[in-house]
Amino acid sequence: MADVITVPQVQPVQPALRFLRVIPGVLLLAGVGYAGKLLEQNVGAYAKARHWTFPNIEYVLWAIVLGLLISNTVGVPEIFRTGVATYEFWLKAGIVLLGARFLLGDILKLGGVSLVLVAIEIAGSLAFMTFLGRLFKLKPKLTTLLAVGSAVCGVSAIIATKGAIEADDEDSSFSIAAILALGALALFTFPVIGHFLHLSDRAYGLWAGLGVDNTAEATAAGALYSDAAGKLAVLVKSTRNAMIGFVVLAYAIYWASKGQAQAVGNKAAFLWQKFPKFVLGFLLISVLATYHFFNKDQVGALANLSRWAFLLTFAGVGLRTNFSDMRKQGLRPFAVGAIGEVVIAGFTLALVYGAGKIFGW
Amino acid sequence: MSAEVERGKKGSRWKPSLDTWAVLVAFLLALLVRTGVFKHIPW
Repeated sequence: MADVITVPQVQPVQPALRFLRVIPGVLLLAGVGYAGKLLEQNVGAYAKARHWTFPNIEYVLWAIVLGLLISNTVGVPEIFRTGVATYEFWLKAGIVLLGARFLLGDILKLGGVSLVLVAIEIAGSLAFMTFLGRLFKLKPKLTTLLAVGSAVCGVSAIIATKGAIEADDEDSSFSIAAILALGALALFTFPVIGHFLHLSDRAYGLWAGLGVDNTAEATAAGALYSDAAGKLAVLVKSTRNAMIGFVVLAYAIYWASKGQAQAVGNKAAFLWQKFPKFVLGFLLISVLATYHFFNKDQVGALANLSRWAFLLTFAGVGLRTNFSDMRKQGLRPFAVGAIGEVVIAGFTLALVYGAGKIFGW
Repeated sequence: MSAEVERGKKGSRWKPSLDTWAVLVAFLLALLVRTGVFKHIPW
């Protein structure tokens, strides 16, 4: 009799099942975000009715803080995790819809200025982080990941670079943990510093877009200051994101020349693959709005849809940030990241001041 | 294997990225607003 070998069958997850798995977490994002919105409305009114001096805390901060409380006390149960991870999807959809609030002329004008600042920021940050990595004797590929994460766009840049330079999983986990922890700190420190320095909405929005690494945190840090600063932070951050392909390509070629990564074949295809498509969506919606494809009420409706999408994003930022997980990743990459971020924050603030002087803001 | 099946297999390999899905959903929502399906979105 022939031996019967039972091979475990790996069933592909059906799209309908994948959709169902996402629902609990999305409902949690919506619940936490909406609770943040209710707290904004009610806490302020409650304090005012009792003549208490209480700062007006925006829904953005309430949603993040509620998420952080859940994540760092009871934790996020497994059933919610797939849905919570969709916060990046909502962020990108929100950015595309936000394009309706920008006229193309503004994008070209502000985008032109921010493009120059972004180029200087990326070059300066890459050089400084590489220097720091060498000073602290970090592994070269870990240094590359931290440099790209700080200079371009946080987690997405690290993931894109990891594949291109064939870095270890451990190195990318270190870098992601450091960038996320520092992004969470930036969320709370940037608005405080901005208010302390009496930065205008424009100067602060530029600074948040240039200095905060992860797109979600940059969007939140901008929105925490003001609506106008939030809009500008998203525009500048999207300009930084658009550079991701070029930076990753440069590093891929560098590591391939050292024989430690595969050579890049079709460079144009590589750039297209790495290019963040939501930036194109944002521009296209803005073109449609500029040429009055949407009337005033419709632009208002799209702006509100964008706010709802960001509400889910901000809840997700809190829910996915777990400080004990971050502590486990070790101190040295975090120290390099922290020193780098402080210097980059100072450097980008100086850039914004310089641009303000030149353009008379 | 027939050419049709072969083509079908190749065609099914394209998977939209998260970015692409976000853009598609955002444009679908914009279209629904533009056509008046969603008339008022409260905030």
